This record gives sequence, C-alpha cells and structure tokens, in this order.
Amino acid sequence: MARYDELAGLLGGMDSRPQADPDLSAAAAAAVVHEARLLDAGRFEDWLAGWTSDAVLWVPLSAPTHPGTDQSLLLDDRRRLAERVDWRREPSAWGQHPPSRTTRVVGSVEAWPAPGNGIVTRSTLLVDEFRHGRHQALAGYQIHELVGDGLMRRTKILVVPALGTGVRNPSFLL
Amino acid sequence: MTAIDSHLTHAELDHLVQPHRVHRRIYTDPQIFDVEMTRVFAASWCYVGHESEIPEPGDYRTTTLGRRPVLMTRDRDGAVNVLLNRCTHRGTVLAVEAGGCAKRFVCPYHGWTFAPDGQLVAIPFPADHPVEDRSSLSLGRLETASYRGFVFATLNAEPEPLDCWLGEAREAFDAIVDRHPGGEIAVMGSPQLLEFVGNWKLSWDNAADGLHATFAHESYNTLGEMVDTETVLARDPGSTPMVSKALRNGHMVVDQRPGIPQGPWATMRKVPFREPMETTLVDAGDADLLDLATGSMVNLSLFPNLLFVGNQLLVIEPVAVDRTRLQLWLTSAPGAPAEIDLLRLRVDEDFVNFGTPDDLDMFERVQRGLSIPEMEWIDMSRGLPDDVGAGDDATIHGPITSEAPQRRYLAHYAKLMTNPAPTRAR
Repeated sequence: MARYDELAGLLGGMDSRPQADPDLSAAAAAAVVHEARLLDAGRFEDWLAGWTSDAVLWVPLSAPTHPGTDQSLLLDDRRRLAERVDWRREPSAWGQHPPSRTTRVVGSVEAWPAPGNGIVTRSTLLVDEFRHGRHQALAGYQIHELVGDGLMRRTKILVVPALGTGVRNPSFLL
Repeated sequence: MTAIDSHLTHAELDHLVQPHRVHRRIYTDPQIFDVEMTRVFAASWCYVGHESEIPEPGDYRTTTLGRRPVLMTRDRDGAVNVLLNRCTHRGTVLAVEAGGCAKRFVCPYHGWTFAPDGQLVAIPFPADHPVEDRSSLSLGRLETASYRGFVFATLNAEPEPLDCWLGEAREAFDAIVDRHPGGEIAVMGSPQLLEFVGNWKLSWDNAADGLHATFAHESYNTLGEMVDTETVLARDPGSTPMVSKALRNGHMVVDQRPGIPQGPWATMRKVPFREPMETTLVDAGDADLLDLATGSMVNLSLFPNLLFVGNQLLVIEPVAVDRTRLQLWLTSAPGAPAEIDLLRLRVDEDFVNFGTPDDLDMFERVQRGLSIPEMEWIDMSRGLPDDVGAGDDATIHGPITSEAPQRRYLAHYAKLMTNPAPTRAR
C-alpha cells in the first residue's frame, strides 16, 4: 500500500538527510513542542483536532521497518486516533485510570521542506511517566510531517528503542 | 517429610495450594519462585519458538526458559536444536542478539567456537588444553520436539513424549493451525515485549478467566458499543454457550466459538486501512477468508509458558517473583492472500492497545494487594464441585465463569513442586 511505503520511506531515509533549514526548524519546533504540551496536559481533544483527515500515527517496535511486514505498537488512522481519545476518557479504561502524568522533553529539532508546502521534522524525545507511585522514562525520536498554514499533523512516527526490551504498560506513548 | 527447600516442606506446599483457595505466598515468596524455575519451568515442556523463524541452516533465535538463556538453532543438516546459551569454558553467554544467522558461535571472551548443533569445533591454542574428548564440552542441550512447527524443549531427565504431554490439548491446537490454508502457519519477525510488576501466574490465572472480560475489559466493550459492534468479550458470561475446559497437565481452553454464531470477523471494530483490503478480498470472492484476519476464538493455554490468544502467541517469561515479561508474537497465514496478514497487523494492535493495558493494570493491582501478610488467601472456588468424570485425567468442561481451569493448573503446579522430576542438560 502506498501509504505504508511512504511511512517506511520517511523512517528509512531520515538518517541520510542533509543539515536542516534553520527557519523551518524554528517553525517546526513551535508545533512539536505545542503538541508535547497538549499531551502532557491531557488535552487530548485539542490534540486530536490538530491531525489531518488522512493522518497516521505510527509507533513501530524497531527501525528501520515497514508497517506491512512487522508488528507495531500501534498504527492509527484518524478513526482510531478518535477511538484512542474516547478510550482514555472512559472511566473503566483501567490502564489509564488514573491517567499517567507525563513530562515530555523535546530536543534537537530539525526540519526540511516537504512536497506540497509541507515540513518534515525530526526531534528527540524523552518522556517521563509517573503512575501508581512509580515512574519510567523512555527516550527516542519522532518524525512529523506537518502540512498547510496551520502545520497540521499528517504523519507522526515515534521510535522508542526500549520497546525492544520490554516496557510497562506503554499506553501513555502517543 | 520431603523438604521443598530450606524453608518450605511438602506439607506446607499442600497447605498453600488447596482445592478452593491458594495462599498469597506462591505469588510473593522469592524462594518459592526460585524453586519454580527448576521444578515447573525446567521440568516441563516449554515453548521456545516456531520453525518458521529459523528457515535456513545457521538461523538462530535467543530466548529464556525458566530464566536460563537458550538458543534455538537450525544446524547444517536442517535439524532444530535448543541449546543452553552458555560457553562451556567460563560461562559467557554466546549470542546476545534476539536472533540472526551464524555458521559458528564464537565466544568473544576466549574464542571457543561452537557449531549450530552445539558441538565444540575449535579452541584457540589447542595444544595447551588437556581435554581429549571435546564432545564433553559441547553446549548444554535440551530435549527438543516439535508439534505442527511449534518447538518445545525441556530439561526434564525423563520427559513424557511431547504428544502425550499435549494430550487433549491437541484438539484445540489442531483447530488453531488447521484454519490456515494448507495448515500453514508462521510467526512474524519480532515480538512486542511488555512487562508487569507481578508474578507470572497472574497472567496464567487470567488466560482462562471468562468472567474478567465483563469487568476488566468494560472499556474495550464500550468502544465496540459506540460503533454498534458486539465484541467477543461483550457476551453475558452467565448465559453464553462458550465453554471452558480444564485439561490434564495444567493446560486450559476457552472455546468462544459457540458464543459467536455470526463468526469472528463480525466481532471486530473497523481497524485502520480495513476498507481497501476488505474490498480486495470481497471482489476476489474471498469474503469467507476474512474470519482468518482475526483469531480462531479458541484460547489455548499450554502450561507453563504459551498462550494462544487471537492470532497471537503470548509467551510468559518469569523475570522475578514480582516481575514478568510477556512476549507477544503475531502469527501469519502464508497460504492466504496477502491482505489477511496486512489486516492481522492492525487487528493485533487493537486489543494490545485497548484491552491489554487493562489486564496489565489488574495484574499489578493484584500483586500490590497480595503484599498484605494478614490477608493470606485467594479464593478459587467458583464453579465447585468440579465434575472430574472418568478420573483425574479427564477434561473438566464448564461455563466460562468457572474457575476449574485455574484450580486444575494449580493442582498440576503443586504436583510438580512436590514431586520434583530430575533435570539435566544433555
């Protein structure tokens, strides 16, 4: 499927990209940091509104990989993103009730122009999760494809190497 | 009186595992956990991997068996071996990657070199080494046998043949494999790995627990209701014709098929990218294959470490008395149109994201509750008395609310713990 190939290509080609564009990187940083704040604040409906109708959020288990050949933690289209927000609001979703309290640290934001007046950006991410009196910290990087004047999220790929070693309830990872 | 170990006697263990209740210590005592790693895990047939993961000579995969690092290899003759992943010189673990292909396993410490069948093939500066019989320095070997391509291994010195050990469980096992075109089933590349702060038996208690779906998975069922889909877990557990079975050797089955007359695919909400794949299959006249995209609806649990759930193989890895790792492998259907496996990938994520987190939370809550010394007992009496029919080896059938499967596996567990089988590496 074309969209799957597009995702695999975006992930696989990231390390060979040239030095980033400074102005685009600044614009991308504002968007990516804003998203992190929405998630940390639990403003999931506002977060959902920032995705395009053809959006994909992909959290593979390793990189490089292809979403049609191996398991992922999740690969959501717009419909499942909305379900995810509904699920988190369900009082009986015990895996997130009480909810995780997260702190996201976003760094090393780089951005490049993408077809159709869009931006592709890569940033590093550290997420600390506190829940049930324990905390865990997971690090990785994220790739965003942002489109239009509002820099809506069309694609997000989140790569967390520790998923390959076993983590506790990762349902806070978005 | 037979000592289980320095602090636990045979009679005490009988006290801890009773027909209607079990003691918190079997979930919380680190010394009992240590004994389990040999008397339960090393002495039983444990699932190690699937032959499809190592198709070529030299292919290997690493895992653990009762916390022991092990290697599953295919040697140059095409045979599958399960070996202890430990150099026979100083004890170095030889392979540290999840898997790969290697003609030789060369120990990085002093260069001892082993073939994929475990034979020691080279020692540096051999003139200095006094050992004449190198075969005595081969890698430790486990007794290995396969059923339908699934590889099991044991350190039991005199194991029951694998077919006999599976016994009545073969009926469900065959049903799971035979629904795949040509009886071909394979395992995809890498597993999801999830950990919880709890004892490994909590996942075992849960595997054939037909009642928890109504409560622990209420949120999953609500997501279905939002789009007018009755999930497989949304059935009234008190009236569904689904059947639970407690088999010999601790194996368990929950057969959900009688409760879903419209078939498995009808229980699934729409997963991402479903429409194009579904359309392709329907247009090709393969609409009846869509049920293959979701699970068999037969949950089979093979004690002590393999659960068949949906299209997943869930492998239970004990890490510590209060720490467990779950390996979630996804199976594929090589004989079916490609759309089936593409759908399976997205179906697989559905429960892992909206169901499994709730299970993990329950496991951790139970482990915390079991930390209270003054509250000793866990009730396991629902559905008593058990009708054992023709004898102790007969399968117990019951409604899915019965706790007979939990009672049965724990009785088997107690037998293994109090009548230890000798274990050894070959």
